[in-house]
Amino acid sequence: MIGLSLGVIYVLMASGLSIIFGLLRVVNFAHGTFYMLGAYSFFYILSLIGHFWIALILGPIVIGLVGMLVEMVTIRPLYGTNEINPLLLTLGLTYVFVDLIRIAFGLAGEPTSIPAGFTGAVNLGFMFFPKYRLFVIIIGALVMVLVWLFINKTNIGMVVRAGTKDSEMVQMLGINLRRVWTIVFGIGIALAALAGALHAPITGIMPEMGIHTVIEAFVVVVVGGMGSLTGSVVAGLLVGEIISITTLYYGQAGNASVFALMVIVLLTTKYGLFGEE
Amino acid sequence: MKDFNRAARWTIDWPFWVSIPIFLILPFVAPYTALATNILVFGIFAMAYNLLLGYTGLLSFGHGSFFGLGAYATGLLLVKANAPLGLAMLAGVLTATLGGLVIGYISLKRRDVYFAMITLAFSQLLFFLTLQLKDLTGGDNGLAGVPILHLPFSINLGKPLHTYYFTFVFFILSVYAVRRLLNSPFGKAMQAIRENENRAISCGFNAKRVKLISFMISGMFSGLAGVLYCLHLRFVPIETLSITTNGEVIFISIIGGLGTFWGPMVGSATFLILIDLINKVLARWEIVVGLIFILFILFLNRGICGLIESVMAGRKQRLAVASTQQAKGDES
Amino acid sequence: MTAVDHVDFQVDEGELRTIIGPNGAGKTTFFNMIAGTLPPTQGEIWFKGENITSLSPYMISQRGIARSYQIINLFPNLTVFENIRVASQSRKVIFNFWKDVKGLEEINRKAAQILETLRLTERRETLAANLPYGEQRHLEIGIALATEPQLLLMDEPTAGLTPDETVRIMELIKTISKGLTIILVAHDMDVVMRVSDKITVLHQGKVLAEGSPGEIRKNEEVHRVYLGGQHYGDAT
Repeated sequence: MIGLSLGVIYVLMASGLSIIFGLLRVVNFAHGTFYMLGAYSFFYILSLIGHFWIALILGPIVIGLVGMLVEMVTIRPLYGTNEINPLLLTLGLTYVFVDLIRIAFGLAGEPTSIPAGFTGAVNLGFMFFPKYRLFVIIIGALVMVLVWLFINKTNIGMVVRAGTKDSEMVQMLGINLRRVWTIVFGIGIALAALAGALHAPITGIMPEMGIHTVIEAFVVVVVGGMGSLTGSVVAGLLVGEIISITTLYYGQAGNASVFALMVIVLLTTKYGLFGEE
Repeated sequence: MKDFNRAARWTIDWPFWVSIPIFLILPFVAPYTALATNILVFGIFAMAYNLLLGYTGLLSFGHGSFFGLGAYATGLLLVKANAPLGLAMLAGVLTATLGGLVIGYISLKRRDVYFAMITLAFSQLLFFLTLQLKDLTGGDNGLAGVPILHLPFSINLGKPLHTYYFTFVFFILSVYAVRRLLNSPFGKAMQAIRENENRAISCGFNAKRVKLISFMISGMFSGLAGVLYCLHLRFVPIETLSITTNGEVIFISIIGGLGTFWGPMVGSATFLILIDLINKVLARWEIVVGLIFILFILFLNRGICGLIESVMAGRKQRLAVASTQQAKGDES
Repeated sequence: MTAVDHVDFQVDEGELRTIIGPNGAGKTTFFNMIAGTLPPTQGEIWFKGENITSLSPYMISQRGIARSYQIINLFPNLTVFENIRVASQSRKVIFNFWKDVKGLEEINRKAAQILETLRLTERRETLAANLPYGEQRHLEIGIALATEPQLLLMDEPTAGLTPDETVRIMELIKTISKGLTIILVAHDMDVVMRVSDKITVLHQGKVLAEGSPGEIRKNEEVHRVYLGGQHYGDAT
């Protein structure tokens, strides 16, 4: 059960990755970095303003805007060159951003604590569940509902679902495709940032916190199917549970177990559990 | 003007001969000898990586696996089994090649991003496995205790200069071998597959097998680099299997120039000397190198050697067009 | 929806057979099945007395079947010469890791010969991507030719060409057709009538008619469905 909150974090990360890949065909290696930036942004705003909810909402939004800027300046020029350029570029971004944070906030990171009001556990009847983790699950679920609504009920969402980068249909609808790409990228980034902000009170914040998380997020996306939102949800929860259980019993090897899972899924299904190409 | 591409009978042309003296004096030119040795080691590693990415067109995110396999296999035999050097080195290379066979076979069942992800998965698997097997590998602290080796002809691998020239021998042999490989029928098949895999298949190339063998060869040379690294440091850090190594070899390859022959060496030298310079001024090098890498991707996509090649090719094409026009002019 | 519907098809050695038919008639699917990239749901494909239906594409090529494509499908960053040379290498030597290809005299000679046939000798060192479209079309055919096939599948070799360029391709086809079996898919009726030994007309995945150019020209049904109800002008 505890793995559920971890699963929700993965769902948020994976959906962001999936949306970005589905529309932009960009494999965003810097996704973990934005997760980390989300965590730092949340705590920084919190330390400035002291208001929990504002920090939680503003933090990810700010990072989402940063993401949009990054897309416009560095990634957009690379569309149409070849597939690996954007990927490599995001790899470079990781190095840059991680180091920037190290310079700005120090190498060691900060310990964090669960905000007041969320400490303690809730009696669910069949077990005591930590309040904050329950909160994470609820917020995560809410946000995913919003994302689902966005994908299925808006024009931009329709573009994302169509999943193509240039479509006459889309242009006929008068939608500015480039702006859509930027917005979608920003949303994907904001999701990662939110994941970081939500997870940070549990894990603490460190400049390197996103590096392993992003790899696990990739496992989720691959298992669930790149470009599939349902896949991200199902696989995210699944992976969250698996990691929680295996690290409990097997320590470090638990981290390795998801990679075995990914290899198995990739070899038995064509595009992950729910993916299509 | 000498035709850069003229068929040399020995397959080796002037850059090769020029580079030998350069590498021979490198340890005296570089800031310190160990850096020069690192340049050679990562030069071989990047050359192996370039074989796969630049020449076959396959992007791997887990090449640290083979570097680490080579380093650890050699290290373990030297530390735990007191094996003779030759055996330990051979074991390292073979282990990496075998790893290339297994990982390659499974990864190649998919293309593009999925292929890259599987290679990454294996790299992480090996990393965490090594971390877990603390008693054997030293875990987080790495594998220590590689003895100082004394070889025939008074070669003492405890001395940096001796280690450099020892590494250099393998370096130059590797460079020569790869050179011949790239000009061989197999090397040309690799490139055809990079250019247009489907067309290559339709011409009769067994693309699957070519890719797998290419992957294994790449693993083999990566493993050799790892072996030499182990001997150089007399220690195997866990980082050899981590994603840092995966990332670094990509940086080196891009900066040097994908699909060029000397790119890996130039990239290796540039990368390592750059880090050394930056470390003298700033505490952190990642941000500078990251920015440089991004700038390369955006503006100098073909890397340093790629740029040089474009310039020279451009000149050649203009000469070719000019002479054709001249011939046509003569006709009329 | 059936792309290719119970097509019974036979080509004799040395023949130049053209397949015509409106778009969507199943021509490219037909080629894909022969070349092994698309398995037929039913039926078999036989070549030189061997059942090749379930062979993988590279094996089919090794048996002597080559293909040129409607959309230019070259090795863009290799020189024109290398495009041809590597194609001619594919059935002779692949897994040699040591010998310099410049020493493979036979292959190099044949490649140079093919360049001559294609009239591309002057473009030897040009990168394939830098060729003008008309010459790329020549190279497109050349790559298929370089594998020394017995059967050559040509998919719309004159697509997008000017009338002058079309004539040149046609002459090329006539030159290479000696001693080679060719199945040609084409739209340009001028070309079709001039080079074909026999024509097969496909419509909605089925064979509508089959016969010599003269016979097809007079075929009422073909006219109605394909040639637009007009009698095709007397071509030479």
